Amino acid sequence: MLLTLLVALPLLFIFLQALFPALGEGSLRGILSAFPATLQDPRLPTLLFGTLSSGVGVAAMSLLIGVPLGALRAQMPPPAARLWDILFLIPFLTPPYISALSWMLALQENGYLQQLTGLETNNILFSRIGMVLVMTFNIFPVVYFAVSRSMLAGGQRLADVARVHGATPWRAFWHITLPMSLPALVAGALLAFTLAVEEYGVPAAIGSRAGVSVLTVAIEEKLADWPIDLSGASILSLLLMLMALAAFMLQRRLTGQQDVTVITGKPMPQQHVGGGRWRIPLLLIFSAVALITLVLPIASMMITAFLATLSGGLHLSQLTLRHFSALFAWRGEALSALGTSLSLALGAAIITGFLGLLIAWMVAEKKVRGVASIDALALLPAALPGVVIGVGLILLWNRPFWPISPYNSGLILLLSYCCLFLPWPVRYVSSALKQLGATLAPAARVHGASASQALRLIILPLVFPSLLASMMMVFAVASRELVTSLLLAPAGTQTVSIFIWRQFEQGSVGQGMAMACLAMAISLSVMLLALALLTRSTR
Amino acid sequence: MRSGQLRKTGALAAMIFTSAMMMNNAEALTVYTAGPGSLAKNLAAGYEKKTGVKVNIFQATTGKVMARLEAEQANPQADILISASWDTAEDLQQRGWLMPYQSPNAAHVPERFKTADYVAQGISALGIVWNSNSGTPEPKEWRDLTRAPFKDKVTTPDPALSGASLDLLIGLQNSLGDRAWTLFSDLKANGMVISGPNAQAVMPVLQGAKAAVFGAVDYVTYNNIANGEAVKVIFPASGTVVAPRPMMILKSTPHAEQAKAFIDYVLSAEGQQQVADAWLMPARSDIQAKRPLFSDLKILPAKSDGTSERAGILQRFNALFNTH
Repeated sequence: MLLTLLVALPLLFIFLQALFPALGEGSLRGILSAFPATLQDPRLPTLLFGTLSSGVGVAAMSLLIGVPLGALRAQMPPPAARLWDILFLIPFLTPPYISALSWMLALQENGYLQQLTGLETNNILFSRIGMVLVMTFNIFPVVYFAVSRSMLAGGQRLADVARVHGATPWRAFWHITLPMSLPALVAGALLAFTLAVEEYGVPAAIGSRAGVSVLTVAIEEKLADWPIDLSGASILSLLLMLMALAAFMLQRRLTGQQDVTVITGKPMPQQHVGGGRWRIPLLLIFSAVALITLVLPIASMMITAFLATLSGGLHLSQLTLRHFSALFAWRGEALSALGTSLSLALGAAIITGFLGLLIAWMVAEKKVRGVASIDALALLPAALPGVVIGVGLILLWNRPFWPISPYNSGLILLLSYCCLFLPWPVRYVSSALKQLGATLAPAARVHGASASQALRLIILPLVFPSLLASMMMVFAVASRELVTSLLLAPAGTQTVSIFIWRQFEQGSVGQGMAMACLAMAISLSVMLLALALLTRSTR
Repeated sequence: MRSGQLRKTGALAAMIFTSAMMMNNAEALTVYTAGPGSLAKNLAAGYEKKTGVKVNIFQATTGKVMARLEAEQANPQADILISASWDTAEDLQQRGWLMPYQSPNAAHVPERFKTADYVAQGISALGIVWNSNSGTPEPKEWRDLTRAPFKDKVTTPDPALSGASLDLLIGLQNSLGDRAWTLFSDLKANGMVISGPNAQAVMPVLQGAKAAVFGAVDYVTYNNIANGEAVKVIFPASGTVVAPRPMMILKSTPHAEQAKAFIDYVLSAEGQQQVADAWLMPARSDIQAKRPLFSDLKILPAKSDGTSERAGILQRFNALFNTH
């Protein structure tokens, strides 16, 4: 089945590469010879600790920001609730390497903040805390969305029952609403953890200065200088995967037994405690979070895009459109990169959404043997560094024996994005499915519906908000994926992220940031458009 | 409405697939290259104009290019490889991957920048990149960065991520011996930090967070200067390291004749002028550039005998800076 093709086979080749260093040339000699050197590296404990601590740190901080915010969003929606959803999606549209750079430009010594206010923040930025915070600002929305979607889908009914029986709103929330969204909360935390341990951009830019070493950076190093150590990189990736698997087991432990039925098929009007006198404080809270996680890095990004030179500092005379006009001077390259990225992201969102729904449903129905392993398999790519998936895909597909291969075409990028981002819809949809009554689908079956009809007509509409949220996230992340794209893009093809990265490499920070602004504006409008169309058609 | 959506999905997927398939062009020449993307583009465009043969470029850092090459061994895709590190060419030659070729245009390339199997496309050098607005005295020598004005003001690319940066360490050790290590520990004592690959080390210097980079690739900075940044490239009189960018034809190429013609083109006066325009030193000694040429620099011996010494130096440097 597709999961095998998308996930299992590349993983298998990474595993084989770890075992057989000469796999690339099709030889099996030197089995296991890469293990001793890699595993006896004295840096290994530091790497493992660095990775684990930043993963746990980011997950914890994401919960700290995402849970209250998501709960507020669902329980007492702030004015313009949908707008805030969109705003908190933007950190996803910002590639981690760009936000790392933006934060550095803003907060390092003589950065924008110091130039404007004289505040010195250099030492906070380049510290373990600084690194975890920067990553959290990018990642906390996974928790925010998981929690708010699940609470919205869960509705208020059970909490209302508690209120009727005399519970205070706080008590009802604490004892009913929060525990009910526990699966979503834990799933969100797990995603945050895996995203954090898989992250390369921020640890490379900030972590190395803060004295934090993580696995992804070490993997990248093994692939950065000659001689390339493919096997060493694969072994470290397997360690990373083990870490994610452990987190996955923990999650199943925590939430596996709890099924809370809140959607039983009976109509349930959505009613919220209106903002009322809480309007202003709510707005303040949401604005504060948005200011820090969103406005600051984006402002830094835009300033850089409009600034003639970095060394000239912040002066009005430095204002220029040069970087933007340069984009159009690239013989249409910048624009075609945009087109490539957007269509790939759209394709990936549709395919992973469809597959994710199917997988989550199969896992929830427990009809097939080995559902736990399917579930785990669908999660694993989230823990794999992109560069390793890239190598795995090359090893797998660039073989003479395939009669037809996606390698060296845009299709390989689509495959890699699907592999990388499949975990998102699976996580989101399955946490939504956990809240569906066990009787809904069987009821449909009793009335003569086929399994696919039940899925399409009953399950799908009920989990649609979660599915859509996850697909939008896939779109956002895929439209700016860097690491795999760098390795896999066929000669002559560019994506937005590759384009930006190359500008940075050539020292054209301004032009890279200009492209980043353009790309974000476009993907944001695509998403807004999609959302507008969907709300209209569901009305 | 739902079936309409499904149809749209199908049509979209079909569009993606067909356009993906069309990107495959069996007749084109495939060049894997590290280094300036605009240069690769211009060379490809120039060659295409001359011969009508399309050139597909895969451009990334040396590491990414080599990783892809190595993973593709079973079914090689590249015809030509342009790397930023001489070592890679030596190594591939020893593995027997290369097709020997001496271009007639290589006659003007100095002996040390060519062999029977590969030849330099262009050359970059490592220098001190200094922000002239930083209020620090202009450094003249590597050692100057260990002095008081540069306390906590120096950064350097991570030699684990940049082959050229590692070459500088090797060059300094080969010429200074143990005094090189005194230099490195003095730099460490003066608060030098290691930051990512080359571009990431230069960025803080542009903004003024740091005053100087110890050992940055020069052409990127020349490009920055051309764009108005207030920075300067300084080549210490005591010597620095150059990084010739070897250009080679892979034995597995099905387009040997075209590949040779491409090498000829890059080494032609026109091609070399494009190399100079990208702020690299041309490999041919008879082509002028708007920047110092290798004949103006004192070059440190960068040769090391194989990977164990490279790994050893890297390990010692990392241990010193305690980065990992």
